[in-house]
Amino acid sequence: MMMWMGWGLCALLLFALYGQYLTGQADIFVSIANPRPLDEERMVVTLKGWGFASAARLPFVTPEADHGLCDLRVFATRRQMLVAIATLGYLRPVTVAWRAHAGVQPLGVA
Amino acid sequence: MPIVQLGREGRWTNYHGTGTCEAATRFALRSGDAERGRDELAAAAREVREWLAAAQAAGRHVRPLGAGWSPSNINIASHCWLLHTRRFNRCFRIAGDDVRPGVDAASLMLVEAGALVDEVSDKLEAQGRSLWTSGAGNGQTFAGAAATGTHGSMVAHGGIQDHIRAIQIVTPAGAQWVEPTAGVMSDEFIAATGSQAVRDDALFAAAQLPVGALGVVTALVVSSVPRFLVRPIQNLRRVDRRALNWLSAGEFRRFSAAYALDRDPDFVQMIVNPYKPFKRPAMLRFLYREPWRDDCPRATPGELGAGYDALSLLGRLLDDYPWARGWLLQFAMKLGYAGGPDVQDPPVYGSWGEGLDTHRPLADLFNASVTIDRADLAYVFEQICGVYARHGGSTVVTLRFMERAQGLLAPARFAHNAVIDFDGPRSQRTADAYARVVERLDAEGIAFTRHWAKSCNLDAARVEIDYGEDFRRWCAARDRLIPDPAHRRLFASDVLDGLGLTC
Repeated sequence: MMMWMGWGLCALLLFALYGQYLTGQADIFVSIANPRPLDEERMVVTLKGWGFASAARLPFVTPEADHGLCDLRVFATRRQMLVAIATLGYLRPVTVAWRAHAGVQPLGVA
Repeated sequence: MPIVQLGREGRWTNYHGTGTCEAATRFALRSGDAERGRDELAAAAREVREWLAAAQAAGRHVRPLGAGWSPSNINIASHCWLLHTRRFNRCFRIAGDDVRPGVDAASLMLVEAGALVDEVSDKLEAQGRSLWTSGAGNGQTFAGAAATGTHGSMVAHGGIQDHIRAIQIVTPAGAQWVEPTAGVMSDEFIAATGSQAVRDDALFAAAQLPVGALGVVTALVVSSVPRFLVRPIQNLRRVDRRALNWLSAGEFRRFSAAYALDRDPDFVQMIVNPYKPFKRPAMLRFLYREPWRDDCPRATPGELGAGYDALSLLGRLLDDYPWARGWLLQFAMKLGYAGGPDVQDPPVYGSWGEGLDTHRPLADLFNASVTIDRADLAYVFEQICGVYARHGGSTVVTLRFMERAQGLLAPARFAHNAVIDFDGPRSQRTADAYARVVERLDAEGIAFTRHWAKSCNLDAARVEIDYGEDFRRWCAARDRLIPDPAHRRLFASDVLDGLGLTC
């Protein structure tokens, strides 16, 4: 009986882990209304030590953001989720993607 | 300085993630703050010309890019210089003395090449004007949508390029202002843009749809109509086979009366599940044009059913569970279609521009189409759906209608056109199924064309057959606009060479 309960618990934990693997790849997307986007830019932010520190491969700048951002996505790829699971969450790479706004110019005269 | 370099040489991916330029050096053309549009264009033309000369000296091909929207790889070129125009996006009001006598200046607007269809719609609406047709999305640049012959969707109109009345094109030899022979803009205005006036119907018909091969388009003069309201009706209905005959014959009123309002519709769309298209309910959408009323309660884009292009979800499921494709597609249609407003719901209204949407691709997109003579629709539509479903096509099939579009290379080249789109999640099986549809149409001897901006697997031989004399006229116009073969090669890419447009 105890053995079956142990197997059941293992299965439950495996399912929980698989659920984390899937949900970690979810795409969190925030956008302004009426976007006028430029090209998408991306960077990877790696949370270390279960979130106590973070490091990005790119600096937190975007070359054409003088009109602000249109939208922002946060997601993990399959590979990033596997890294997080394999390191027991010590490393948690996350992809941040954004698109800068092209700007709304007033109507001029020809 | 209107042109700036963006970062170092690297990879660039298009909007829908369907194509990648490797080792591309990216530049951006930006609007300035000149008081008059003509001064902006003169400065931009000068800069673009210098940039082209620098690319030529560096031994690089060039590729102008708008929003990078085309899911086909028509805008993909590796080891080249890319010129992003998105931030060259100002629009300008045109005055009576800017145009030639007899031309209605109030209906025209000067548009820089990077302005989105959405921006053009907004700026026109601010002047009480509107586009009269456009594609399903509004996230393309107007110049890019026209350059690829984006098909319209109003049953009595042609393509988006029909709005163009004049075009500024820059090549290494200089800037040219291309108009119809009758002329549109005044000589003084054209001179002030730093361009040479070229008034020639043949050249203009080629330049209305340049497919990125005639130089860098820097500006357009866009025509418009007084703004109007549209009332949408959309519903899920099982469509009778006989109704296809009505559509084939252009009896849109009869079709509308059967499934929506007993009125002449201005837009008719039918999205079917290719697995049993007449047994499972189809997603129908109608738009009815009404005069503009300021006091009209306005609906949100969502309530108007904005973004009526087909679903781009469920890709993996459809690929992994082929036995459930028909059911999954129907489920997706039910979930993905904005609910109503149906006939019995309170009417909602919006402008033409508000009914469009800048969608964001949620899955790898497959996007292809065939444009056929509307008269052939009743005969081939069920065959198309059958072949597509039998070979595992995993997208819905969308049907829209339009008249012949302007431009020598316009895919909508029949007097009355039925455009059949296959839009949805990308998979090899779906691409193969589309190829079988093309084979079937050929086997049946049905004339058809394919969209320049979609993944339609065109090649030079096929382009020449599809467009015939118009293709030869387009090539002759290209050689007149860019007489120097070395300059023509500057705009070459593997894709354009493969289509026979730059070689």
